[in-house]
Order: sequence, then C-alpha cells, then structure tokens
Amino acid sequence: MSTVIEAFSLVLQTDVLIAILLSSIYGLVVGSLPGLSATMATALLVPITFYLSPIAAVATIIAASAMAIFSGDIPGALLRIPGTPASAAYTDEAYAMTRKGQPELALGICVWFSALGGIAGTISLMALAPPLAEMALNFSTYEYFWLAFLGLMCATMVARSSPVKAVASMLIGLLVSCIGIENPAGTPRFTFGSTDLLGGIEPIPALVGVFAVSEVMRAMLTSEPPKLPYRRFGSILAGQLALTRKYVAPQVRGNIVGIIIGVLPGAGADMAAWVSYSMSKRFSKEPEKFGTGHPEGLIEAGASNNASLASGWVPSLLFGIPGDTITAIAIGVLYMKGLNPGPTLFTERASSMYALYIIFIIANIIMIPLGIAMIRIAALVLRAPRASVMPVIVLLCAVGSFATGNNLFAVVTVAAFGAIGYVMERNGYPVAAMVLGIVMGTMVEQSFVTSLIKSDGSILPFFSRPVASVLAAMTIAALFWPLGVWTWSRLRRHWPVK
Amino acid sequence: MRLSDRVTGLFMVALGGLAAYGGSRLPPVPGQQIGPDVFPLVVGIGLAICGGLIAFGVGRHYEEEAEADLAKITGQMATSIGEADEPLAWWWGLKALVPPALLLFYVVAVDRLGFLPTAAVMVLITSLALGARLRLAIAMAIGAPLFVNLVFLKLLRVPLPSGLLPLPWISLP
Repeated sequence: MSTVIEAFSLVLQTDVLIAILLSSIYGLVVGSLPGLSATMATALLVPITFYLSPIAAVATIIAASAMAIFSGDIPGALLRIPGTPASAAYTDEAYAMTRKGQPELALGICVWFSALGGIAGTISLMALAPPLAEMALNFSTYEYFWLAFLGLMCATMVARSSPVKAVASMLIGLLVSCIGIENPAGTPRFTFGSTDLLGGIEPIPALVGVFAVSEVMRAMLTSEPPKLPYRRFGSILAGQLALTRKYVAPQVRGNIVGIIIGVLPGAGADMAAWVSYSMSKRFSKEPEKFGTGHPEGLIEAGASNNASLASGWVPSLLFGIPGDTITAIAIGVLYMKGLNPGPTLFTERASSMYALYIIFIIANIIMIPLGIAMIRIAALVLRAPRASVMPVIVLLCAVGSFATGNNLFAVVTVAAFGAIGYVMERNGYPVAAMVLGIVMGTMVEQSFVTSLIKSDGSILPFFSRPVASVLAAMTIAALFWPLGVWTWSRLRRHWPVK
Repeated sequence: MRLSDRVTGLFMVALGGLAAYGGSRLPPVPGQQIGPDVFPLVVGIGLAICGGLIAFGVGRHYEEEAEADLAKITGQMATSIGEADEPLAWWWGLKALVPPALLLFYVVAVDRLGFLPTAAVMVLITSLALGARLRLAIAMAIGAPLFVNLVFLKLLRVPLPSGLLPLPWISLP
C-alpha cells in the first residue's frame, strides 16, 4: 500500500502534471495532422525528455502517444484522410457516418471507446506484468535469446507486407546494430576507419530519421490535403452510453485483440485496428452494414488500437523487447533515465511502475475532455498549411538529434535513415521490422554469444532448460508456420479432399 | 523511387554477401571459438538468402493483398486530391531528397554560419519546396528558428552555435 501512496506522490508533482497536459495537447495536434504519425510525435519528444525527471519523461511519451492515436481519427472521420496509420482501417466507416450526417456520433465513438480501450489496456498491463516479472527473474541468457528471437519472428509475421521482405528488413536492422565496438568481443566492426561509427548507430536518431524525415520526404511528392470546412458540432458524447451497453461483445473482443497484438513484439496500434475491424465484420450479426456508416466496427477497432498502446509496454518493461514502434523509442528513454527494462524493475522500482499505471489511467481519462475540445477546434488546427508544419519538423529533427549527444554525427544518421526509410517504404519493406532489428540487435547478439561461451560452443543447453525449450518450440513453430500453411494449401489444391 | 523486386532483391544479396565477407575477416578472440565474426556472418547469409527469394518473387502475393486493402482507402483519396493528373517533370522525384540534403547542409554549415541563419535557410527551402507563397515562407524562416532557439537553447540548454549572429540576448550567457 505504501508503494501506491509513493506512486501517487510521484505522479502528483507539478512538473509531471504539466508534462502530461502539454504533451497531451501536443499529441492531439500532431496526431490530427495527416502525415504526422504517433510514432513521429514520440520520436520528436525524445530530446525534450532528456531534461525532465524520469517519471515526467515517461509521462510525456504515454500521454502524447495515447492522444495521437485517438486524434488520428478526427481527419479520418471528417476528411477521409487518416491522421495516423492506426486510423486507416476504419477511416471509410467513420467518413460514411459523417456523410450520413452523424459526425458527432462517429467522433464520439472514437473518443469514448479510445479512452475505454486505453483503460482496458492499462488493466492488462497491471495484471500481466507482475506475474511475468516473477517468472522472468529465473531467466538466463538462453531464455533471453529465444525471447528476443521470438520477438523478431513475431514482428515479421504480423507485418502487412511480404514476410520475406519483412525478414530482410529485420536482418538489415540487425546488421545496422553490428556497427561499432559494442559487441561481446569489443572489436570494431564495419566502422570503415571512422571514429564516429565506433560508437555504433544510436537507435534514437535512426528512429527519428525513419519516422520523421522520411515522412517529410513523402510530403514533398504528394499534394496538400483538402481544407476542412468549418462546422458546428452537437453534443459529442450523446448516445455513447447506449452504444456501450449495446455493443458489449465487440468492445470486449476489440480490447482483447488489441491487448494481444500490443504484447506481440513489433506489432502495434495500426495492426490492431486492421485485425479488429476485419474480425468485427466477420463476427457481426449484420456484416452487410459495414462500410455504410455502421458503429460496430468503429467501436471494436477504435478500442483495439488504444488498448494495444498500453499492453505494448509489457514486453518493453519486462525484457526490453519493444511491443511496437512507440515503445521502441520509449525503451531508449527508459535506459537514459536509469529505469533499465527488466524484471527487477517491478521489485526494486515498484513505485515507479505504479506511477506509470496511474499516468496511463490519467491520460485516458483526460483524453475525453481534451479530445472533445480538439474535435471542436479541429477545423482550425487542420487549416495550418503543410508548408508551415513540415519545415519546423525538419528543424526539430536536426536540433533534437543533435541534443541527444551534442554530436553532429547524429544529424548525419538522421538524414541517412530518412533516405533509407523512404526507399524501403516505397518498395514494400516494412520499416518497423528494421527498427526492431536495430533496437534489439545488441541484445540478440549478447545473449546468443554469452550463451554459446557459457556452454562451450554446445547448442544443447538452448533446448534442455524447461522454459528455454518451450520458447524454442514456439520460435520454431513461428518459423515454420507460414511454410506449413503454404504446403497445406498446395496439397489441398492438388489433391482435393473427396 | 519505386524499384522492381529484382533490383532490391539483388541489392540485398550483395549487401548480405558483403556483410558476411566483412564479418568473416574480423579477427577471432584468442582462446574462444565464438568471436565477433559469428553474428555478422549469420545475419549476412540470412539477408543474402532473403534477397534471393525476393528477386524470384517469393511472397509477392501477400504484398498485393495488403496493397489492395490500402488502395480501397487511399486510392480514392489520392484521386480526390488530384495527385499526378499532370505529367511530371523528370526532376519531380528528386524533390524528396530535399529534407536529407538540408540536414546534411545543417551539419556542414551550422558551426560556421551559426544556428539561426542555417535554420532560416532550411525552413525557407522546405517551405518553398512544399509550395508555400514567399510571404509565408519568409515569415516561417524568421519565426521558426527563433522559437526553436528559445526552446532548445534557453529552456533545454543545448549548446547551439551562435556563429555569425552573436546575439547576446538569445544565446547562452
């Protein structure tokens, strides 16, 4: 109990509360602007978090990302342009409702069920993390190796692209993490004689490049989205309680799917929304209404993408394996703030963890009033021309990445990864998989090489420890699953079952 | 820059091969079987295999499914904006390189010119490249660097070089 009180006193500091409020507003604005994603909002926040207390730093990330995922729905519903990729799955549905003359209802669903989904995700984080931490205390490098490997496999399996390209992207990320002297042997690798490369590629500038610069590059070649006409809204929350009672099953399903996808490494809010929307359609009693402005899919997917945000923190806090691209950035911040991810975080820094839960709950509650305010002024915010927003982002990329280490090489990294990310995205290579490779590369190698040294080169211990063997079986199943499905469908086609 | 799968696949093969070769030439740690060479070797070989598969078009149909899903939403969007309804000049695609080029310009110029002038140039060019009118672009080029300077130098104490414009009231004491 005393830890809970301590946690409250950690959160109820003026600097933390101000940080939550300001980053919420920032998240709402960035999320609502088409082309600026929640991940980008988080990446640009990192240099600011350097100068905040640990709890305030984590709070800014939590609040900004939750708000941005909701507010991406606003231009989706009003303009049919998703503000963040996480809203793309149900943009059509929300816009159809607006066309039917129910924009209040569509946006109300977005804000209300986003908040409920976020709270459900937080409860899952509170329930899942401590028992998993207990278990993880007994893990040795063998288990960590399989866990990291499994995480990398998950990221490639759930990518919305060719799985081969996803694996290739992930391997590129691992290769990037090889650069520098940070390896078990301490030998400089792939540095080409450059002293800047000796330190390796820092994940944060690389992420800023991939998620922010390549977005600006894309904006250069597309035309400006249309202006939002000004309109007066009626009551936003009217009728939401009735909907909550009517659609209990879709809501619960959306929350559970969101939580599961959030926990899976590398798969985040956008994936959760796509899966939940198609699931909602499949299980619905009236699937013919989907696409015509039917609230059911909107409820399920809107809850799902916000639920995935909180549960994405489970693997990140426990193992340092990012649950999605946002927590990939958050892990960097956690390390910087001395909150190194790992199971001991829950025993030694329990009050910080409780504080984190409280922040999640606060962020999801203030999402409702702030979200409604944002919906009412959306026409004003979305009027800002891209030519006034994008230059500031380029500038922030340069200054922000410089600030991470007062080193101009970070700016070169940002530029390089902006170009790499842009080319990869254009050619169907999922950048999220590469990001995961960069963030987890050191961990994979460290656990692999240490395990091999411990076992004197034998691979037997990788399979003989009980938990390791289960994880190994899961990894191998994940590896051969697509192959099995493919062979099975081939067999069925050639020898149809009589 | 849309390349065929064959080109990107073969590029992956080359990259993976080079990484594996470079990795295999790393010096071993005396007295240990597992050196710094193992990881790049494994990753490089894996990348080369994936590149080969991509070049032969394996897994292509998953991508087409995902693209069809996305096209349902963004397809109509693109036409409603009126994208690409006029023939584009050959230099059009090069515009995408403006942001990374400006970042490199920042690296080269910031210590000599100072933060404010460099930032003003970056903002001006980005703004104009996105089709802003000159008035907005100039206003942005004056306002945005001052704002960023205030936040990062004054509030966060990041040592931004003052260069040609040593303004005592906006730089660190």
